[in-house]
Amino acid sequence: MTMPIDSLLSDIQDTNLSYLLLVQRLLNEDRATAMFRLKLDEPMADLLASLSVKQLSQLARSNQLLCRLCFDEPEQLTRLIEDPRDQGLGQIHAALLMASSSRQQGVPPVRMSRR
Amino acid sequence: MADKSLVTEMHQVQMAIELIELGARLQVLETETDLSRARLIKLYKEVRGMSPPKGMLPFSTDWFITWLPNIHSSLFFNIYQRLIEDHDCERMGAFVRAFRLYLEQLSLENAEPVLGLTRAWTLVRFFESDLLELCECTSCEANFVVHAHTPAQSFVCGICQPPSRAGKTRKRREAASHAMARQSDRLTITALVELEDAADRRSA
Repeated sequence: MTMPIDSLLSDIQDTNLSYLLLVQRLLNEDRATAMFRLKLDEPMADLLASLSVKQLSQLARSNQLLCRLCFDEPEQLTRLIEDPRDQGLGQIHAALLMASSSRQQGVPPVRMSRR
Repeated sequence: MADKSLVTEMHQVQMAIELIELGARLQVLETETDLSRARLIKLYKEVRGMSPPKGMLPFSTDWFITWLPNIHSSLFFNIYQRLIEDHDCERMGAFVRAFRLYLEQLSLENAEPVLGLTRAWTLVRFFESDLLELCECTSCEANFVVHAHTPAQSFVCGICQPPSRAGKTRKRREAASHAMARQSDRLTITALVELEDAADRRSA
């Protein structure tokens, strides 16, 4: 029983560290594009970019994942997966939905319309 | 114009080159930079190796509402809006970034980009003049481009509820038959290779 748990734990820590390193690499490339891809706000992006490798590996050492799913409602995800006519638009639909509104920090979606 | 900063001008030339490379028409460059028309034409020729196309830009908002263009336009505009609203990008910076992100997403799927750079720019201008707006699909909750003042209560997007003949264009059909032909070519080749292998084995 201990063996698989150990390997799962190390998978979680690996994922955490890969995530943090990816965050830094993306932010070094193009800050605004990276913030969009990562769904991070400015203070958080600045903070994560400034962390040392030592600090990153400390953060990564946990039995919980650092990053979380960007879909909040299972109904949304179901609708993405069950494409009734399979027009090959699944990926573009998912991308659209993820880009659709400020989902970070539970901010309610912003409507551009003037109503 | 006489005391124009060299650094500003250089930035504008850089932006113009980037826009030309991404497919901008001359009208886009004329509106977005302070560079003279003569310089822009020269720049265009140097970057593209040909004269800029003449004629008017597409000026109808209807194109953005037709089925597949609407889906592509909505993806692009949502990205653009995120960059402006959530990540404090300035207008043209957000525009170029959003367009690159849009192209990148499509290249992942090996899909043809339906929205060109000049179209994307007209889209942004239509939003800025309140001719188009975003509306949340009541089914999937993603935001889609619609005409201004479209009733929002019952809006369902073109992915959740595609029109009956959506995507069944002649171009699509031809592409599909080409793909079939390519596949049958591949099958023939595989069969030939197998036959050769069999012959080799027999002679060995």
